[in-house]
Amino acid sequence: MKPHILVVDDEIRYQHLLRVNLESEGYEISTAGDGEQAIEMIANRRPDMVILDVMMPRLDGYSTCERIRQFSSVPIIMLTGKAEEDDRVRGLNAGADDYVAKPFSATELVARVRAVLRRAVNTESITQSRYFSHGNLRIDFARAEVWRDDRPIYLSATEYRLLIQFAHHVGQVLNAEELLLAVWGGFLS
Amino acid sequence: MKVEPSPLPPIEFDHVYLISRIIGQAGNWKSALDQILSQVRKVFIFDNVAVYLLDTTRRTLDVGYAKAAGRGHSREADVAWGENLSSQVMLKRSTILQEPPDDPAMDRLERPFILGVPLIANQQILGTIIFIRFGSPPFTPTQTQFAEYLGQQIALLIAVQQRETELSTVESLRQTLRIQGDFISTLSHEIRNPLGFIKGYTTTLLRTDKQWDADTQQEFLKIIDQETDRLQELIENLLDSARLETGLIVMNFQPVRVEAVLNDIITRSRLHHPGLEILLQINPPVPPIIADARRLTQVIENLLNNIEKYAEGSPAIITVHHQDSQVFIDVADKGPGIPGKYLELIFERFFRNPEREKQVYGSGLGLFICRQIIHAHHGSINVESTPGEGTTFTIALPINQPQNGMMMG
Repeated sequence: MKPHILVVDDEIRYQHLLRVNLESEGYEISTAGDGEQAIEMIANRRPDMVILDVMMPRLDGYSTCERIRQFSSVPIIMLTGKAEEDDRVRGLNAGADDYVAKPFSATELVARVRAVLRRAVNTESITQSRYFSHGNLRIDFARAEVWRDDRPIYLSATEYRLLIQFAHHVGQVLNAEELLLAVWGGFLS
Repeated sequence: MKVEPSPLPPIEFDHVYLISRIIGQAGNWKSALDQILSQVRKVFIFDNVAVYLLDTTRRTLDVGYAKAAGRGHSREADVAWGENLSSQVMLKRSTILQEPPDDPAMDRLERPFILGVPLIANQQILGTIIFIRFGSPPFTPTQTQFAEYLGQQIALLIAVQQRETELSTVESLRQTLRIQGDFISTLSHEIRNPLGFIKGYTTTLLRTDKQWDADTQQEFLKIIDQETDRLQELIENLLDSARLETGLIVMNFQPVRVEAVLNDIITRSRLHHPGLEILLQINPPVPPIIADARRLTQVIENLLNNIEKYAEGSPAIITVHHQDSQVFIDVADKGPGIPGKYLELIFERFFRNPEREKQVYGSGLGLFICRQIIHAHHGSINVESTPGEGTTFTIALPINQPQNGMMMG
């Protein structure tokens, strides 16, 4: 089966550029124009890789990447507008596997895609489920929505991150340090 | 020197209290000093008073306040009197009392008693306050102490005001930096995008491991060509707006017949944009105006371009009339209109209607440049729009310019 790559960019011309180059390599390409749409498509179609632009209106690439990481370990290459170290570190911290700075050469991009896909095949795929259910609690990671007894619960961003930590470690004891790092870590650093 | 009892009434606690009350309520040290000096005049007389403030960047003493109570000396001359003592007080950082020789034969004006008090707040010397009495009476120790107390209080007030000034300077610098930051980040995005396409599609064509068919090659080359044009347009607009803003473009004001300018524009437009229908109405004829014809053409062409891009299929209706000392040029379309919430913003640099910016290419600089050019003509440009019905830009230009060939500010 052809590897399936989702290209997320608000510029049609970038979508086209990536599609032409990657289809010629034998990949199957889908495109999304914004982060919300991308999250929905990843949850439903489980692509083998995501190429994610950073500069997008509404949900930017970093936030999209963080949201994806809450339910999926799909390999992600970020397209950063700037190649400054801050942006690369921010992308990698958000959970990206690699980055390519715009403007990029088609050859370099294709090479990076190949390398990241190769690594992903070597490490066992551990893509998690989009939904989590336990007792009367239900979480939709893709939409960041929580229900109890089929009624939606509204949580703050921190409360939500904390809940996800518990959901990922059902039945385990988590110490305060681990929780602090996982939930507040990004803000404390 | 013989010590005489002071002819002035003694300074009472009430006077000290008065100073602290005025200082406590003051917003401005100069008006506080005005108030204090006029209210303590009976117990603390002087012919002249001057406050010298240290300019910390230039390390000079500047007169910050001067007042003459009269007895025949011009204020400037008295300020010069104090300068010498002021420098000494600054060096010594303490009060200096200069007394004249006790020679009754000398003219009163040549026998000044000068009291110099340093203005110190938070251990920093800010300047001096100098009092002059010509001839008599000498400053008593109590009066000197009173002047020192006054100096301390005024110094505190000056320090607070200097902090406030510094704070607002810092605040406005921060504002400027923020605007420049926004500008640079928008700019780098606007430049990187076309550049990214050119680089991406060129390197796609250059891939040695792939063969592209002739149609694909054509398509890629077309994209590269279009993106190069965009980049060029963006750079020209940027240079134009920067030159206009810094006043580097001098308006070439000459008598201009608006009708002739518009007819030229229409002729050119029919050649290059045959799809755009332009209707021109000039009734009655308008007098020639003083304007830069080339720049005026640039403004009208920009508005017509916008109609072609944002109101596709709509004719452009140009109406010209004059009233009093102004000529009005309306450029209207019957396009989809601009939502009211964006009307205020469309002349701002880089602003683009977020509902259209994805479908229509633009740099966000066109209307910004139009407004700069019209302002350089001492005119105005405004917009009215009804969604679903159309948009009208109204340019008002003075028939005469205040000065011919002046630079824009």
